[in-house]
Amino acid sequence: MLLSLRGIDKHYFGVHALRGVDFDVREGEVHALVGENGAGKSTLIKIIAGAEQPDVGEIVVEGEQVTIHSTQDAFRLGVATVYQEPQIFPDLSVTENVFLGRELRDRFGNVERGDQRRRVRELLSSLHLDPGLAGRRMGDLSLAEQQLVLICKALAQEARLIIYDEPSAILTQREADTLFGVIRRLQERGVATIYISHRLEEVFEIADRVTIMKDGQVVATQLRSQLTVGQVVELMAGRKLHAGVAREAHEQEQVMLSVRGLSRPGHFEDVSFDVHRGEIVGFFGLIGSGATDIALALFGIEPAEQGTVELNGSRVSIGKPSEAVEHGIALLPKDRKTQGLFLPLTVADNIAAGNYPLLSRLRTLILRTQERNLAKRLMKALAVKAPGATTKVGNLSGGNQQKVLLARQLVGRPKVVILDEPTRGVDVQAKEEIHRLIFELADGGTAVIVISSELPEAVRLADRLIVVRSGRIHSEYARGEAETAAILQASIGGGDGAGGNGDS
Amino acid sequence: MATPNRTHALPGAFADLLPPRFGLREVLDAREASIVAVLVVMATALSIAYPQFRTLDNVNNILLAVAQVAIVGVGMTMVIITGGIDVSVGSALSVCAVVVGMRLQDGAGVLEAIVVAIAVGTAIGLVNGLLIGLGRVHSIIITFGMLNILRVVSFKLTGGKWLSGVPNTVNYFGSGTLLKLPFAWWIAMAMAAVAWYYMRRRPTGRHLYALGGNPETARLAGVGVLKRTIFVYTITGTLVGVASLVFVGGAGSVIQTAQVGIGFELDVIAAVVIGGTSILGGKGSVIGTLLGAILVGTIRNALVVVNVNSLYSNLILGCLILLTVALDLLRRRGRLA
Repeated sequence: MLLSLRGIDKHYFGVHALRGVDFDVREGEVHALVGENGAGKSTLIKIIAGAEQPDVGEIVVEGEQVTIHSTQDAFRLGVATVYQEPQIFPDLSVTENVFLGRELRDRFGNVERGDQRRRVRELLSSLHLDPGLAGRRMGDLSLAEQQLVLICKALAQEARLIIYDEPSAILTQREADTLFGVIRRLQERGVATIYISHRLEEVFEIADRVTIMKDGQVVATQLRSQLTVGQVVELMAGRKLHAGVAREAHEQEQVMLSVRGLSRPGHFEDVSFDVHRGEIVGFFGLIGSGATDIALALFGIEPAEQGTVELNGSRVSIGKPSEAVEHGIALLPKDRKTQGLFLPLTVADNIAAGNYPLLSRLRTLILRTQERNLAKRLMKALAVKAPGATTKVGNLSGGNQQKVLLARQLVGRPKVVILDEPTRGVDVQAKEEIHRLIFELADGGTAVIVISSELPEAVRLADRLIVVRSGRIHSEYARGEAETAAILQASIGGGDGAGGNGDS
Repeated sequence: MATPNRTHALPGAFADLLPPRFGLREVLDAREASIVAVLVVMATALSIAYPQFRTLDNVNNILLAVAQVAIVGVGMTMVIITGGIDVSVGSALSVCAVVVGMRLQDGAGVLEAIVVAIAVGTAIGLVNGLLIGLGRVHSIIITFGMLNILRVVSFKLTGGKWLSGVPNTVNYFGSGTLLKLPFAWWIAMAMAAVAWYYMRRRPTGRHLYALGGNPETARLAGVGVLKRTIFVYTITGTLVGVASLVFVGGAGSVIQTAQVGIGFELDVIAAVVIGGTSILGGKGSVIGTLLGAILVGTIRNALVVVNVNSLYSNLILGCLILLTVALDLLRRRGRLA
């Protein structure tokens, strides 16, 4: 056994993050760690990597009990971590990035540049990567390449255990395949892997063993061959996933939003559609299809160059986000961390942001109490799990952050709500709750547009599903009208003569 | 011009990576080369039009005028590479100069003057470094505070009066020549050489770049963040002390206390930034700073030679700073996109 953790307990911001966790890693195995957000995976990893210390429990490396006080301690024990967003020095070379903090020195204590470079070239070659990378500037590489360089860094430190924290979330399929190839090659050399991922297909592709966590506890550790995807999902959620709340096919009421001939050359062309009061219209398309660009145009972030938008029967022009808000359109952006939330601020501040005219007296004095009360009401309505309205948003889980962002959009009682990938990076349960909230929103009479690149979600949410392909509306389906396979086919192209002629 | 394949450049695609390119970006990256080019063009044009520009005396005028800037610039380069800034160097220079001047009035020798100058400068730098490192406050806040405090200190030391009748004990620092070049400029080059070696070859020197590039990652990689921070401000203080000797040596018998080092920090920062050190940290070199200082000096000198109002030298300098910073930011944004 390479690494064993016994009875690990950890409290965090008043949350019992880990409860008596036992976890072990064998030499040369790929051990996947799965669980919903907030299940305790990250905390467990931080403890192994030395970034956090456990309150209780022991860590044993190769039969010896150890304490890991810092990431330096972890390195010395042969444990290295590759984070999702590579931690790099963009202006230094690849070689320097690999050796920084552990430079090779000559007898005068100078950096041995030549030796370092040779060693990096060897490492790159041994992973079947181009040794020419050694001299490149780190910041010029793609995220995928940077991750691979960081793996070299781990190897240069003679790591025996490499931890990957959701590495594939930012990679294309081809890049992920390369990463898997590297992981397998390392496995042959006896380097063990802990692999954290939300993508279960991936876990089943790469892992030897799988540990499932829930609520800070290990629910099960089993050989992959003894598990099915369904079992894993069940163990993660702690209950069977119901197939989703069925929603009645919606009666067409008055048209709330009517878009005609919207174009932004290079992004989308001639987009026309209607959204009714209380209707959920889904936009589905592969990445790069233009679905997101349509949302950005409707909200005035990247305005369309041609076409008309009618809201509630009267024509509006939306050239910037503030105009969209004035007309009663709200947008839940795709990237909540950079485009939506103020992580160091409180839940109440985040909900109030952008809504100050509504929360102030004479548009001047901001009323803190009103701000808090509103936040409390919305937190309750949306089932935001946080200790209080003054909790910092950065301390919440992904699903709860998303709910806070959604709460902000709802303060002004918008007529049209656009949700761009509303459940990206949130766990199964939070996803369920967000879907329920979207249904409630529509039932309350709001016109809802949901953009999703996840087909099951798009199919489940949409009363009417619009497939976007190469910047055009390709086809449209009413709820239950088509099989998911047919919709996927439509978005990808090929197949039944749909050579991109734009209609169904 | 092809841009690097940033999105899908994975192993298979590495094969078609382009050979090294010599486009706009490479020119921007090789800042030293572009400064040398500008200097050569300027010097050639001026030498043809104004023969007096070409004389050794005039070259020495330029070098002497910017020696203090270059000496302190070496330390400032390190500070800015770690992602910080030190705006207190002008006031620190005045405190050092006043203390040295007063010791000289009391009959101190060269050795004592050197020791006092370096001790006072180092102490000031150490205070900056400790406050910034231990207090974890942004350097501009701390050094801006120190700028004001030190100005009052130097005023109080002399009771607001000028120092007069300062003996010429350390004049060699200000006006002496060695192998035909100003002694002060030799000091600047020596300091730069040591710093260059340190920043290129010593592990802790490389860590300065890491610190400016990504402080948290640097900490996790085992860089002694606190030690490096205290070090760069302290060494900058030491170099201010050295520069104060050059100042006193060149000032003659009267030191106008209230005027010493006014605006000095701006010249130093200008030389560093024009020399290609990124104001955002993580990138730069002392060679660039020396060249930056010479460029600043040459522009100032050229306008005198051409007989243009010296007001315009500030205009040109200002534009040059904006241009370099803009190029740096454009380059970074281009990469982020």
